[in-house]
Amino acid sequence: MTALIQLTGITKVLKGQEQPRTILDGVSLDVHAGESLAIVGRSGSGKSTLLSVLGLFDRPDQGTYLLSGDDISRLPERRAAKLRSSHFGFVFQRFFLLKHLTAAQNVAMALVNGQGWLPRRQRKARVMQALEQVGIAHLAKNRPARMSGGEQQRVAIARALVREPRILLADEPTGALDTETGALVIDALQSVTSRGCALILVTHDRDHAARMGRILHLDAGVLTEQRVPA
Amino acid sequence: MIRFSGRARSALIIGLQGIRSRKTRTLLSMVSLFLGVLAVVVVQAGASIAERALLADMELFEGLDGTVVMDVGGTSPQLGQVVTATVAGRPDAVAMTGMQAVIGEPGVRPVNEGGVPLDGSWGDPGPPMTCDETGCRELPAAEIAPKGQAIEVRLTALSGDVRRYRPYRPQSGDWLDFATMPSLSPSLVLNKAAAYGFEKYRVPAEMRVPGASANMTPHFVGVVDDGDQQPRAYVRLDELSHWVPAAKLIDPNSSEVRVLMTAGTPVEQVLSAKLRAIGVEPIVRTVNSRADQEKELALMRLVFLAMAGLVLLIGVAGILNVGLATVGERVEEFALRRAVGTPRTLLAGIVLAETLITGLLTAALAIGVSVLGMKALVTFAGSSQPFLQGMQFPWDAGVAGVIAGLVAGVLGGFVPAVRAAGIPIATVMRA
Repeated sequence: MTALIQLTGITKVLKGQEQPRTILDGVSLDVHAGESLAIVGRSGSGKSTLLSVLGLFDRPDQGTYLLSGDDISRLPERRAAKLRSSHFGFVFQRFFLLKHLTAAQNVAMALVNGQGWLPRRQRKARVMQALEQVGIAHLAKNRPARMSGGEQQRVAIARALVREPRILLADEPTGALDTETGALVIDALQSVTSRGCALILVTHDRDHAARMGRILHLDAGVLTEQRVPA
Repeated sequence: MIRFSGRARSALIIGLQGIRSRKTRTLLSMVSLFLGVLAVVVVQAGASIAERALLADMELFEGLDGTVVMDVGGTSPQLGQVVTATVAGRPDAVAMTGMQAVIGEPGVRPVNEGGVPLDGSWGDPGPPMTCDETGCRELPAAEIAPKGQAIEVRLTALSGDVRRYRPYRPQSGDWLDFATMPSLSPSLVLNKAAAYGFEKYRVPAEMRVPGASANMTPHFVGVVDDGDQQPRAYVRLDELSHWVPAAKLIDPNSSEVRVLMTAGTPVEQVLSAKLRAIGVEPIVRTVNSRADQEKELALMRLVFLAMAGLVLLIGVAGILNVGLATVGERVEEFALRRAVGTPRTLLAGIVLAETLITGLLTAALAIGVSVLGMKALVTFAGSSQPFLQGMQFPWDAGVAGVIAGLVAGVLGGFVPAVRAAGIPIATVMRA
């Protein structure tokens, strides 16, 4: 079966300093539909940079990035934006909810992004479906200030899911939450794999990493597999 | 109905959300822009009103552009005969001659001696004067006739319908009918200033004209607006000629003689040749006043618009300042929008939509204030300034206001839009 994501020899060098620093050093990785994997490593090991490359925020200096078999290593920004909209969902450590919008409007933000137009009624239905998926449909009309950290993060997850992405990238999504709330958020994230969405989780939390199908360790830009699913 | 593209609709929706969430900033932007847009609207409205008022009256005095005007001087006794015989029955030329006439009680001084306006707008005309070769002096008291029920007017005799060259505005009644047989009782059309006098003073219908064989009994057929403040009456030349001999009727020594012609008419050459033959050199010119005046007004409007533009620029700087500050505060929002697939062009569009909406709201406000200001001006100053009566807000001033608002929106939003489009997505990764 063709891997959903296939990275081969990805290298990313941080320039503009006296000594260019290699952040990713020949990273190779296959991710299949419906699988979940955790990327762990120390701070500064290149986890966020790898996620940037995976999420098309950044381009690799060397190597090949295939998405469903198509080479997207050197994609122009306009096409990258379209792919981000259609294939990827993002969840960050900070929730990045717009405080002047309600939960529903924050989720709808991913639908009102200039990549196709949904009529208001369909948009609303998709938003409510995403909020129900993470169990906070009853908070649709609340603004972020009136929600707890866990609820806010679930709004952010709903925003990532509303376009039904094929890959969900989560960068330390529980970093700002207590253990119990963090576990609930990981539950919500993991649930997406049941419908064929791949989940890539960057985390420092070993317990959360252990719940993923695979654990990859990134050290000084070099990626190694720690655990292969049974 | 206009259907916007998905991207334009997205920009509008997000732009409106941004405006709603930052009402104070939007208001501050509007305040800084308001004076600039108002200045543009006021200058444009003022220029349009001035142009309309000036040009409308100018055509009444000078004639329509393209009219050929021949002024005739000289002392030849054949002058009257030559002019009237040449233009008689011509549809492309009208001769007009002006003289003093007094209508009312015989043997008295008119209430407006010298033909001054009867509303007193020219002030006291002073004591009666007499002039001869040695100069002018006051008339001795014994020679001054008593003031009576009579009005002095400038009488303009016409050989045909002059309105194709001077578009006098009808006020009431009819214009002179040149198609009928000339009457012994001359028909007169008054201008507004004369009509005012005859309404104010009840005078006998007896008209005295210098050089006439007898006093006439005129009848008034209508009133026109000829833009003149002096009381004036218009009469058919052939009707007047029953009473005034041709030599006196068109006498350059005591009256003004002018022929108005359509451009290219052979009358110009024929009449010029005939006049030269009797030793009179005519002065011929083509009216181009409207074009000249428009050129001058356009220059003035440009100067004032340039000044208004400077004020507008200050407003643009205000929008720019607020826009840059807002983008600075919204770095994470824009980075996040890019992360969820919003293209850079849409991010720029969102910022531009916000500044354009702000510019349009300001324009609407400035136009509204201008309309109200004009209504107030017409209400309070309309009675003392007749040109203001019935004045409507010029639509082109509204258009100028909307354009100024849009231009200010684009200029003020351009740099913030470019900055918003350039925010790196990595901002959200490293936050």
